[in-house]
Amino acid sequence: MRFHNPAAHAPPRPKVEAMSTDSAADQQAAQAAGRSARRSRDAERRIDRRSLLRGGDGPMVVFENVEKRYGKDAVGLDGVSLTIDAGEFVFLVGASGSGKSTFIRLLNREMEPSAGRVIVGGRDLGRMRRSKVPYLRRGIGCVFQDFKLLPNRTVYENVGYALEVTGDNPRSIRRKVPEILSLVGLSDKSERLPNELSGGEQQRVSIARAFVNHPRLLIADEPTGNLDPDTSIGIMQLLYRINRTGTTVIMATHDRELVDKMQMRVIALEKGKVVRDERQARYATVEP
Amino acid sequence: MGGTFRPGFFLREAIRSIRSNAAISVAATVTVMIAVFILGAVIPSFLYVQSTVDKQKDRLDMNVFISDSATNAQVQGLSDRLAQLKSDGLVESYTYISKDDALKELKGRLNNPDIIELLPSNPLPASYKVKPRDPADNPDIEAALRDSPALDDLDGGISYAKETSERLLKILKVIQIAGVALIGVLLVAAVLLIGNTIRLSIFARRREVEVMRLVGATNWFIRWPFIIEGIICGIVGAAAAIGLIWVAKIAVVDDFVANNTGSLTSDQATTIGFVWLGLILVAAGGLVGALGSGITLRRFLKV
Ligand SMILES: Nc1ncnc2c1ncn2[C@@H]1O[C@H](COP(=O)(O)OP(=O)(O)OP(=O)(O)O)[C@@H](O)[C@H]1O
Ligand SMILES: [Mg+2]
Repeated sequence: MRFHNPAAHAPPRPKVEAMSTDSAADQQAAQAAGRSARRSRDAERRIDRRSLLRGGDGPMVVFENVEKRYGKDAVGLDGVSLTIDAGEFVFLVGASGSGKSTFIRLLNREMEPSAGRVIVGGRDLGRMRRSKVPYLRRGIGCVFQDFKLLPNRTVYENVGYALEVTGDNPRSIRRKVPEILSLVGLSDKSERLPNELSGGEQQRVSIARAFVNHPRLLIADEPTGNLDPDTSIGIMQLLYRINRTGTTVIMATHDRELVDKMQMRVIALEKGKVVRDERQARYATVEP
Repeated sequence: MGGTFRPGFFLREAIRSIRSNAAISVAATVTVMIAVFILGAVIPSFLYVQSTVDKQKDRLDMNVFISDSATNAQVQGLSDRLAQLKSDGLVESYTYISKDDALKELKGRLNNPDIIELLPSNPLPASYKVKPRDPADNPDIEAALRDSPALDDLDGGISYAKETSERLLKILKVIQIAGVALIGVLLVAAVLLIGNTIRLSIFARRREVEVMRLVGATNWFIRWPFIIEGIICGIVGAAAAIGLIWVAKIAVVDDFVANNTGSLTSDQATTIGFVWLGLILVAAGGLVGALGSGITLRRFLKV
């Protein structure tokens, strides 16, 4: 895996970091992220062998003329071709119904394209056997728009489940879960059930679960939807830190302000087509 | 069955599922209990009847009584005919029973042998006990021996249970078929009931199952807890049924057996020991649970 040296790589320093209040809790979280990243180096090598995603610095995601139709006239995606390199941070923007969720769902094979090829981590998903799909999904962390937490399980158990499915041993689970919960700032709520948490807290549990396996690709479908600006910024910082550990992050969002602050690659969709694909970009070309 | 099998984790998951579906799980457990209870009552009764009938079948032997006044030559002639029948394949075996042997045997079968002592002399004739290869051939054997001068006058010298033999054989068949059919129906019913429980459990948790898939759980990782859930319902139901059977045994059957030793004969019919019965029933419960959940998973938790 690659480590981005923040100084050498030097993307324009995201304003969101500059804004961040330097509270003690925040620093603690930052340290946890560092620890977690160091540990992830070993963990990742082990997991990679089974997660099916090929290593290396090549493209993480390739779409070749991807088309997704629902029934006769509903179009999800319409002839999308693009490449996302390993280690990139990408915003997927567009109006409601433009095809962002469709894009996300094609990546972990929640569904298959009507035409074209989707290649993730060097694997052609169209040719992947059904029985291999769980292993693909273990290599991709996914933050769902509606969280998709298991309702009868505590925060701790929800995050632990993602490790249980990989066959990780209990000792290692007991070590990793508290670590990732401290990273998302939920250490004191680990025994709560999802319905005892606020929306932002559930969102963070979802992120913790997506990242606990240290996947090489993290996809997030509107992880800041319905959250207040401060909480959104907190989640954004978290995803940014995760990206700095070498994880490719793809995030679908409506949040104009956030995208403008971050100055990352922006892929804009409209009616299922890519209408814009720019680096260090803003949400829209023309200010409203 | 790709993936890892983790007994501790799956067991915890199964118990979690049973808890969250308490009402349905209890209903399934109770139905298994009823089915296994009936099974537990049917197995020993079935074996009891079977062994009783088998004993009766031994009594289908033909008794050829020898007159007290028959000469040695006449008895020898009768013996020769039996040897001939044996080599013809009609008779499986025959044994000579002297007057003394006959008396001893009678003594042995009476609960109060002392009454024999009251007899002035031995009234029992000597006889040949003839075991036919097939009780249905009895009339042919009788015809071949009929005109021997050695025969006693009693009963025309030859006795066997003509109608009983046929009826007994028929009853035996019916009992066997009915017993197997009854057990089969009960087990199928129990399997379906467990299957239904698991189906409801899957339905109640189908969103959860979807989430599990999305975070990378393999099919077997999702299935095992459901299978274990079915097995637990089956085994707990069987254990409860065994408890009930134990109570029934103490309260009814043991009493009944104790009160029936006063009859004239003391023939023992064999059934099955309680421990063996218990083991069989627990195994049946577990198997029913596994089958029920397995079948349901195939239908409702497709790949
Ligand atoms: N399961 C489905 N069946 C039929 N049509 C669908 C289905 N899912 C999505 N669509 C349609 O496909 C198009 C793209 O949907 P998609 O969910 O990808 O949009 P989106 O960009 O994620 O929107 P939002 O920002 O509201 O989440 C929409 O027109 C939608 O109505
Ligand atoms: Mg969407």
